[in-house]
Parts: sequence; C-alpha cells; structure tokens
Amino acid sequence: MNSAYRTYAAKRLVQAVVVILLAYVFTFVVVSILPGDPITNVLRNPQNGFTEDQIREIIAAQGLDRPVLVQLWSSFSSFLVGDLGLSMRSHRPVATLIAEVLPSTLILAFAGLVVALLLAVVIAYGTRFLPKRFGQGLLRGFPSLFLSVPNFVIGLVLIHLFGFQLGVFRVIEPDSFWATLFAAIALGIPISAQIAEVLIANLDHEAGQEYAAVARSRGLGKARLFAKHLLKPSSLPVVTVIALTIGELLGGSLITETVFGRTGIGSLVQRSVSTQDLPVLQAVVSLAAVVFVVVNLIADLTYPLLDPRVKLLGTPERRPATADEGSSTISQAVTS
Amino acid sequence: MTLASSYSTAPATNWLTALRVPPSVALSLAIIVLAIAWSLAPGLFTSHDPVNGVPAHKLLGPSLQYWFGTDHLGRDLYTRVVYGTASSVSSAMIAVLIGVIAGGFIGLLAGFLGGWVDTVLARLVDVLLAIPKFLLAVIVVTAIGFDTTNAAIATGVSAVAVFARVMRSEVIKTRQATFVEASFLLGGSRWHILWRHVLPNASRSVLPLAVLHFGDSILVIASLAFLGYGDPPPASDWGLLISIGKDYLKWPWLVYAPAFVTIATVLSVNRISRWLRKTD
Repeated sequence: MNSAYRTYAAKRLVQAVVVILLAYVFTFVVVSILPGDPITNVLRNPQNGFTEDQIREIIAAQGLDRPVLVQLWSSFSSFLVGDLGLSMRSHRPVATLIAEVLPSTLILAFAGLVVALLLAVVIAYGTRFLPKRFGQGLLRGFPSLFLSVPNFVIGLVLIHLFGFQLGVFRVIEPDSFWATLFAAIALGIPISAQIAEVLIANLDHEAGQEYAAVARSRGLGKARLFAKHLLKPSSLPVVTVIALTIGELLGGSLITETVFGRTGIGSLVQRSVSTQDLPVLQAVVSLAAVVFVVVNLIADLTYPLLDPRVKLLGTPERRPATADEGSSTISQAVTS
Repeated sequence: MTLASSYSTAPATNWLTALRVPPSVALSLAIIVLAIAWSLAPGLFTSHDPVNGVPAHKLLGPSLQYWFGTDHLGRDLYTRVVYGTASSVSSAMIAVLIGVIAGGFIGLLAGFLGGWVDTVLARLVDVLLAIPKFLLAVIVVTAIGFDTTNAAIATGVSAVAVFARVMRSEVIKTRQATFVEASFLLGGSRWHILWRHVLPNASRSVLPLAVLHFGDSILVIASLAFLGYGDPPPASDWGLLISIGKDYLKWPWLVYAPAFVTIATVLSVNRISRWLRKTD
C-alpha cells in the first residue's frame, strides 16, 4: 500500500469510470443514430396494434420527439442516478425486468466459470504430467478444439446425448439441477480453452525455472510439484484472464440460454432484439460494460498485491510468458 | 565442384524447408481450399437443388445418395451446406476486413502519433473491449437490420478493438527500431516512414491474428445466424442450418453434419493461424 500503488489505483479508478460512461454513450449512439428507425418499426408494426394516439402517447412518454442530443443527455443523467428507464414494449421499469431474470443468469455464469476453471486445471495438469504416449499432445490440442466449436453446438450435442438419449435431464425443465449443470458445461467449455492456454504456457515457463528443478531433484513427485510449487505462480496471470472472460460469459449465456430454453438476461436480450426494445438493450449493454470494467478493475488492483514482483510504473508491468499459442488476443490485452 | 554444388543447393533446401508444412497444416489447407471451392462454385460439387426438395425423401439418414441425409422438406443437406458456404465464409471475410482495416487504422494512428490522439483512441478501444463482443455484435446488427451482410459488419465492428490494440503495440515497437530512427535522420517525412517502414513491419504480426479472427468470425456469424439475425430461410448459412436442425433432434444428422463442417473449417483456420505465427 505504498504511494505508487495509491496513484496507480486512483488512475485506474478514474479510467474505469470514464470507460463506463463512454460505453453508455457509445451504446446510445449505436442504437439511436444508425440507419433504420427501430422506434417507428416497433410502434407502427401492425402486429403490435398501437393506434395513432397511443403511438403519440408513447413517443411523448419516452421523450422520443426531442432532439437526439437532448435524449442522450436525459437518459444519460438518469443512468447516472441509477434509473434505467421504461421498457418500450411492456412499459415496466427496465431495472425490474433485469432484476427478475438476473439471478438465473448469475447462477449459469458462475457455474459456467467453475466448470471452465476445473476443466482448465485438469487439461493443464494432463499436458504436464500425462505420459507422452497417453495423449499428452492430444490434450494440448484441446483448447484449440474447444475454441473451434460454436457453443450452441456443444449445447445441442449435450441435449441430444444426455437429454434425449440418456435421459439425464428433461429439456422442458430448464432450471433443474442437471439441466443447469449441462448448460454450464456448454457455456464453460469455450472459456476453459482460453484459461487453459494461458495456464499451460505458464506451467511450461515455471517448470523450466530453477526452483522447479531443485524441487524435482529433492525427489518431489509430479503431483506434489504441480500442486505445491507450479500451480500458484502459474495461476496468478490467470486472474487477469478470468476477468477478461467475464464478457464472454455474459455473451455466451445469451446463446446458451436460448439453446437450453432458460429465462435469463440472454433471453431478455433476445426478446428485446426481436421487438427492438431499445431501452432494455441499452440498459443490458451498459450493465455488461459496468460488470466487465469493475471485475477487471478489481483484478488489476489486486494483481500487484498478489504478486509483489509486479512493478508499478504508471501502468502495471506484467510478467512475460502469458501465452504463446492461440490466445494472442488475450496476451495482447494482458500485456498492453 | 563441391563448392559449386553446395552453393547451388543451399537456396533450394531453404526453399524446401520454407515450404515444408506439417501434415496437419496440409490437411487444414486442403479443407480451406475445399471450403473456398464450395463457396465459389457450389454447383460443381452437388447435383441436387438447395431450395426445392423431394418431399417423399424427407428426413432420410445419410446415405450414398444423400451424404448428409435430408431435411424435413426432403432437401439434400449436403447440398444445403455446400450452398451455404459462400455466405458463411465470405461474410467472415468481410468481418475480418472491417476489423483489420478499421482496427489497424486506429492502432496505427494511436501508436504512431501518440500524445492525446493515443489517449483518446485508447479510451475508445477500452469502451469497445468493455462491451461483451457478442453482445456488441447483437446490438449493432439490431441497429442496422437482420441479414447476413449486416451480421458480418457487426462481427467486424466487434473485432475492431483487438486489432487496434495489437496494431498499436506493434507500431510502438517498430517506431523505436534503429532503422526507423535512421530513416528519420535521413530526412524521411512522417508519412513516408509510416507507409514505407512502420506499416509493413507492424502488419506482420497482424496476419496470424487476422487468420485467427477469420475462424472466430465464422463462429460469431454462425451464432448470429443461429439466433435468426442473418438471412432467413431458404438461405442455408451453417448457423441457420443448425438452428433449423435443433427442432429435429430425433434426426441428429441435421445438427451434426453442418456442425461438423463448421468445426472442421474453424479448426483448420486456427491450425493455419498457429502455424503462421510459429513460422514467422
């Protein structure tokens, strides 16, 4: 907790707030300025059956007849005080709509993250200590394979195999324990790949260090070496990667919820997209940005505390060898 | 004599080692070539009609006549996959181009000019990174309308930030190189140095990333098509085929066949990307 850390923390905090506010403005610009007029698309859609009077009423209630900048300012200022506005479809507060479905998505996302972490550690352990002839090379290919499978395909395969063929869970009960577990597996597999890649690269790096050789020469078994010496230093950079995958957990839950028929943020987004319910979309995207920024802020702020070797030179100087294969996006984001 | 022969073989072996590709990469290249051929001339690879089926032959399993089986309207699934390649693959190409060009430009400016330009662009990139990629693609495609080209544009927009970051760090690395300094001292203008020295060197590491993102874009576009944000049926984007197939899970090949093609393609693209990065 020296002064360098305090300066760094203050700087990151300000940055995070700026990014959240800009993300709100950006989303507003995307949904309201781009071509195509979603407002009249929804309101004048014959399926919705609004009369001209009702349309005028809604437009007045939402303030859609004002200039765009005025609209931006009013929605922005209400966002600042935590008011997310009214849904254009159901006229209920967006905050209520989100609060209703949030727990389901949080459960799924958390379970997905747990699955991803377990899977990543198992794969990483296997690549280090499985004998070559038992498919060590094959295991190293797993992250690449996981990243090549669309997660709706994983979901459908799980539903087909475990839902229909083996009857482990029933598709019509999406919130049952087993259905949730398989949804979490579908969500977690692609994310485990990213974590595993970084973990494997770090394990390779740590295993080449002298302390590992010393431990081995003292006769330490592979499993103990992994658990007692290699895992901890290798998993520190993983903290950053996990923080970066939060966005993917949210984005992935959109598809996973559709595939498994769950009600959550994802299905709310889907419904709002098909009815072009802009206030809801705006709120969900902004909240997703808030979650992402806050989680990454926490990760960045705890990182120097967890790893005293990290020097704070304005921006944190990260350790080398975060990843070598297939995750240049991550390593870039981590190192830059 | 020995001198002459060793002299003449040296470049040849270099050339051979440069071209020697591991078998898995060769297989990946073959798969990509096949996918490109499917998208350029689908009619050469199948004699069935992708839109009109034979109702009497509906929901047949894979056979010699129907390689991937038939769907609920009696259409040959293999034919639908082949005809869907063009939009699935070319839209991913559009997405990557948008990401590379827009992101590359942002990164180039930020890295080369530095100062307040860098600060402003860095915040913009932070904003793009803060919004979950898939969610970003979804709202962009919602704003500009549902079809496959728009899905490609949305996917491209969601990739801009990553390319901008990589380009920026590469440009900064290159800008500090001695030969760039030399070019400055020789009186080269900023733009000359930018185009002649910085851009070619910095873009070298962007290539494997672009290839990687090509695979990623295929997945994102398939996901958007799966959710119904692409072209509606009878288009046969791979994601749409899987989405239709999910309602017929009793006939699992309707999901497995297009899924297998998608996975094989993306896996090949990823393999090639990794190989490019290693040989670099």
